[in-house]
Amino acid sequence: METFLGVVIGGLLIGGLYALIAMGLSLQYGVARVLNVSHGEFIMLGALTTWSLYTAFHINPLLSLAVCGPAAFALGYVLHRTVYRRILATSPSPGVFESNSLLASFGLLFVIQNVALIAWGANTRGYSYLAVPVSLFGVLFGANQLLTLGCALVVGVAFYVFLARTRVGKAIRAAAQDSTSAALMGVNINSVLALCFGFGAALAAIAGMLISMCYPVTPVMGIPYTIIAMIVVVLGGLGSIPGSFLGGLVLGLIGSLVTYIEPSLTLVAYYLIFALLLLVKPTGIMGR
Amino acid sequence: MQTGKASWLRLRTPVLWLALLAAMGTLSLYASPYTVIMVTNILMYVILTVSWVLFSAPTGYISLATAAFFGVGIYTSATLGGQLPLPLIILTAGVASFVLAALVGALTLRLKGVYFAFFTFGLVELIKHLLLWYEVSVTGVRGRFVVSADNVTIYYIILGILVILLLTSYLIRRSRVGLALQAIGEGEDAAAHTGINVSAVKTFVFALSAVFAGAAGAAMATRWGYVDPYIAFDYLFSFTAVAMAVFGGLGRFEGPILGAVVFAFLRELLITRFPYVYMLVMGSVLVVTILYLPQGLVQLAQKSTWRRLRGHREPA
Amino acid sequence: MKAKRLTRREFLGVTAATGAGLALAGCKPSVPATEAPAATQAAPTKAAAPTAAPPTKDKIVVGMSRPLTGALVAIGDSAFGPISKAFVEEVNAAGGIEVAEYGKKLPIETIIYDDTSDVGTMTRLTEKLILEDKVDFLWPACGTSFIYAQAPLAEKYGYLLITAEGGASTIREMLPSMPHVFVTLSFSDWYQLPVFAELVAKAGAKTAFVTYIADLHGIEYSGSAGIEFPKNGIDIVGLRSLPPDMTDFSEVIRAAQATNPDVFCLFGYPGQIMPTVGTCMGLGFNPKAWLGGPGVNFGFFHTAFGPAVEGIMGFDGYSPKQSPALKELADKLYTGKPEDIQDWWGHPFYWAGLQIWKQAIEKAGSLDQEAIRNIVATEHFETVLGDTWFDKGLLAKECHMAEIGQWQNGVFEVVGPVEHATAEVVYPKPDWPTG
Repeated sequence: METFLGVVIGGLLIGGLYALIAMGLSLQYGVARVLNVSHGEFIMLGALTTWSLYTAFHINPLLSLAVCGPAAFALGYVLHRTVYRRILATSPSPGVFESNSLLASFGLLFVIQNVALIAWGANTRGYSYLAVPVSLFGVLFGANQLLTLGCALVVGVAFYVFLARTRVGKAIRAAAQDSTSAALMGVNINSVLALCFGFGAALAAIAGMLISMCYPVTPVMGIPYTIIAMIVVVLGGLGSIPGSFLGGLVLGLIGSLVTYIEPSLTLVAYYLIFALLLLVKPTGIMGR
Repeated sequence: MQTGKASWLRLRTPVLWLALLAAMGTLSLYASPYTVIMVTNILMYVILTVSWVLFSAPTGYISLATAAFFGVGIYTSATLGGQLPLPLIILTAGVASFVLAALVGALTLRLKGVYFAFFTFGLVELIKHLLLWYEVSVTGVRGRFVVSADNVTIYYIILGILVILLLTSYLIRRSRVGLALQAIGEGEDAAAHTGINVSAVKTFVFALSAVFAGAAGAAMATRWGYVDPYIAFDYLFSFTAVAMAVFGGLGRFEGPILGAVVFAFLRELLITRFPYVYMLVMGSVLVVTILYLPQGLVQLAQKSTWRRLRGHREPA
Repeated sequence: MKAKRLTRREFLGVTAATGAGLALAGCKPSVPATEAPAATQAAPTKAAAPTAAPPTKDKIVVGMSRPLTGALVAIGDSAFGPISKAFVEEVNAAGGIEVAEYGKKLPIETIIYDDTSDVGTMTRLTEKLILEDKVDFLWPACGTSFIYAQAPLAEKYGYLLITAEGGASTIREMLPSMPHVFVTLSFSDWYQLPVFAELVAKAGAKTAFVTYIADLHGIEYSGSAGIEFPKNGIDIVGLRSLPPDMTDFSEVIRAAQATNPDVFCLFGYPGQIMPTVGTCMGLGFNPKAWLGGPGVNFGFFHTAFGPAVEGIMGFDGYSPKQSPALKELADKLYTGKPEDIQDWWGHPFYWAGLQIWKQAIEKAGSLDQEAIRNIVATEHFETVLGDTWFDKGLLAKECHMAEIGQWQNGVFEVVGPVEHATAEVVYPKPDWPTG
C-alpha cells in the first residue's frame, strides 16, 4: 500500500513538471498556432542559466526565476514580433502558416542549441539542491521533487487565474477560441499572439529552472522535453490550459506506474496512449 | 523561325531533364568515388522529400511518418541482408512500408490537420520503442550489422528509386487520382460530394509515397553498416523531409527537389568546413529563407522577388 | 509560359548547384576544421593511387569524424576530444613525429568533421576522409555503435583504427576478421565486473539490484553482471532495463529500495547516472555499494554532487598516485583547468593508444598502414600505462592500471584490483550527506 502510494505521488511529482512544460507549448500552439519544436530549447536555456547562477554565485535556484522568467518572456515576445508575425503576414492560409512556422522553429532550434553549446560547452551539468528525503503519508520523497511540484502548481494556478480574471487573459482566451472574431471584437490580435508566445517561453524557462534542481542539464537536453510537451498537449486538448495541466499529471501517473513494473515499456506506454487517444478522442481529455 | 523557337521551348524541359538524367546516370564514370557517395546521400534526401510531397503537398496533411517508413526499410535490410539478393530486399522494404502506411492511413487519415501530424510523429517513436523493447527483451540484440554493398551499386539503386519516384509523381499529378487528391486538398466534403472515394484515394497515395521512403531506407542501410532502433527510427528524418520541401517551395514540382539538394549540400559543406557552427548557420539559413522567401527557394526565380528584396535593403 | 521558363531556370540552378558541388567536392581538398590547409592531394583522378608516395611530405594528416553537435557531444567533448587535442599540441610542440622515410619530423595536422551524432553521417564522412581527403591516418569516432559501423570501413580500406570511446565484448568476436582494428578501452567481462564482484563479495555483499540502459553498453554490462555476481555468491534480486530517453528514475529506485539490496548498479551514461544519484538521495536509498558508469568517473560528477559522491564506485583507468608517468599525464591534462574535464577512466587508455600509434610510425619509419599495423599488432610499447601491447586486437589486460574506482574524500581512488589499489574499498558506503 505504501509502495502504491509512493508510486502515485511520485507520478504526480513528475507530472507537475510535464504539466508546466505542456502549458507553455499549449499557449504557443493552441493560440499562436506555432508548432514550436524549439520549445525545449527554452527549457534548456532556463536550466543552464539557473545552473550557472547557482554554481557561480550561489544564487538560490528559485530566485533565478526572477531572471529566467522575464528574460525568456522577452525573447519569446520579440521572436513572435519579428519572426512569426512576419510569417503570419506572408502566409496565404493557416496550413501554409503551420508548415512555414514549423520550418522557422526548426531553424530556431538549431540556432539556440548551437549558441548554448558555444556559451556553456557540451558537458553534462548538475548540482544537488534539497536532495534530502521528506516523509509524506509515511512514504519518502525528495524534497527537491516536492518543491518542483509545489512550484508547478503555484505557477499553473497563478497562470490560470491570470487567464480567467485579467483583461489580457480574457483576450488570450478569446483568441484561442476564435482569433478572427476576437480581432473583430477589438482584441489586438498581434500583440495577444506575441504575449502568448512570450508566456509560453517563460513557462518553459521556469520549467527548466525546476528541472535543473532534479535532473542533469546539457545544451542538447531540449528535444526530449519538447516531445513530452507535445504528447501532453494532445492528451489535454490543444489550446486548453487546464487540459494541459491535467494531461501532464495523467502522463506522469501512467509513466510512474509502468516504470515501477517494467521501465523498458515506459515510453512504449506513453506513445501507445498518445496514439490511442488520438484515434478515439483526438480533441483530448478536456477537448470539446 | 518562329515555329522552331516555339518547338524548342516546348522541348526544352524534357531535353534538360534527359540531359540531367544522362549526367546522373553516368556519374560513376567521371566523378570521384567520394562524389558518388555524397551524391547518393543527397539523392536519398531528395527521395524522402519528394515522397513526402507526393502525399502531403496536395492534401495539406503534414505527415511526420517519413522516418517510420525509412526505418522500416532500414530494418528490413538489417534483418534480411545476406539472405536475399539486394533488389528483393529493397522490394520487400517497399512492400512492408506500403502495408504499414496503408494500415496507418486507413486508421488515421480521418484525423484533421495537425492531429495527423501528431499521430504520425508518435508512430515513429512508438515503433522505435517497441522495436527497442523487442530487441532487448526478446532477441537480446540491441543493434544489427547490415551486409554492405558496393558504393556505386547503391548510387544507381538510389538513382533508380528516385527516377521511378519522379515519374510516379509526375504521372499521379496528371492522373485522375491526382485530380482527386487536389480536390481533397481544397475541401474533403466537397470532394466526397463529387463522387470521389476520399479515404481510398488518400490511403492509396499515402501508402504509395511510403514505398519510396522504405526502399531508400533499405538501400541506405547497406552504407551505414550498423543500425539500431535509435539510428533507424530517427524522427529528424521526418522533420528534415518537411523542412527541405518547405525550404525549396511546395508551390512547384521542382521546389522540393531544389530544397532537398540545396539543404543536403549545404549541410555537407557546413559539417565539413565549419563543423562548430553547423547548426547555427543552418538554422539561420532556414529562418531567413522562410522570412524573406515565404514560398521557398523557388521564389528566387521570380523577378518580383529580387525587386522586393532589393527594396527591403535600400531603406536599411 | 512564363511560369515554364522560370521552372527551367530553377532547374538550371539545381544542376548548377549540383555541378558546383561536384566540382567543389571532387577537386578541392577540404579545408579542415582546424587551421592550415590540407593540400595532400591535388587531382581527383582515380588513378592517383596512394601507394605512389609523394617525394616530399611536410605533415601527417589525421582525419576524424566526431560528434560536435547532437546527443553525443557531451561524451565526445569530455573523453577523446580533449585527449586528441592535447596529444597533437604536445607532439607538434616537439616538432612532430620522426619519419625515417622522409628524413625529418612531420607535424600532425587534424581534419575534424561533425557527424552530428548520426551514424549514417559518420560512415559517409569516414569515407570522405579516406577517399577524398586521403588522410594519412584515421582517428576514431565516438561511441560503441559508431565504432561498430566505422571498424568495417577502416578494414575495407586498409586503414589502421585504434578506437577510443566505446567497444563491447561482442566486438571481440569480430576482431580476428578485422586485423586493422585495435580496441583500447576496458570491457565489462574483461576484468571490470569480475573485479567488482569479488571486491564487494569479500566485503560481505549478498544481493544486488541491477539497472541498465537499453543499448549495447547496458546489455553487455548487465549480462556480465549476471555471470559474475552469482559466481561470487551475490544474488541478483532485480533487473531493469531503461529506455535511453527516460528522464525520471524515481520508480525504478523505489522498486530497488523495496528489495533492499546490498549492491545497486546502474550501467548507463551521465544522463541516467546523475538523476539517479539525486533520486537515491531524495528517497533515502543508500545501498552498501553503488556502482555506475560511465559517468561516475568524470570530474563533473564530483562538481555536481560535491560531498554526496563519497563512496560511489565507477569504472576506473588510473590514478596519478600510481606512477610518475600517470601523474605527469594528469598534470598535463588537468592543471589549471576546471575539474569538470577530468576523466579517470578512459583518458590514459586513449592517450596510450595515441602513444602506440606514434611509436609505431617511428619504428616503421614510414606512413605505410600495413607496416605500422604489423608493429602495433605484435610489439610492446612504453606508454603512460607502462609496458603496453595489444593482445589479439585488445589492449592487454596486464596493461590495465585500474578497473574499479571509488570516490573517497573528493578523490577518485583506485580500489580494484587490489594489486593496483591506491586505497582500500569503503564498504558499506557512507550515508548521503544531510542538508
